[in-house]
Amino acid sequence: MRLIVKDLPLASHRLARQAAEAARCAGAEGRFWPYHDRLFAEQPRFAEDRLIAYAVDVGLDAETFGRCLTERRFAREVEADLVQARALGLRGTPAFLINGRVVMGAQPVETFRSVIDEALQRGPLPMGKP
Amino acid sequence: MSRVPSALLPLFLLVGAALPAAAQVDLTFDPARTRGPAQAAVTIVEFSDFE
Repeated sequence: MRLIVKDLPLASHRLARQAAEAARCAGAEGRFWPYHDRLFAEQPRFAEDRLIAYAVDVGLDAETFGRCLTERRFAREVEADLVQARALGLRGTPAFLINGRVVMGAQPVETFRSVIDEALQRGPLPMGKP
Repeated sequence: MSRVPSALLPLFLLVGAALPAAAQVDLTFDPARTRGPAQAAVTIVEFSDFE
């Protein structure tokens, strides 16, 4: 199984977009997953100084990370994910595509198991080649 | 901090169920934000926010 994480910071979540950009900054330094996990553990405490502190905690340089954050180096990438989510009609989080099938919301594990089993029965993902 | 210029790869998904009509949607993804093998039988794309 492969998991691909994309951003859908909701407008109603005031600090979500900056947190998404912060995670991109961490990813650029090879620390996306530790930072991702830290953000989920700390949500919604996402004031800028905290975002930088979390970065330091996962081994990143505060000054470099802070510059990435204040310059909003990954704003465009986060926006691109938002555009793609809108194209899919996704309006809330979390939202999942399981071999192309949409699952909305934090569903029980049984729901995921059922959709995954169905996907396995259908066969490989009908995914085009670049 | 350097950007990763070739980070975004295309992912073409045929999206059907739970949408008004089946649609071909072109997604991009950052390989640094994935887990699991590229040739996996099941691919889950998660759209989420942190708040």
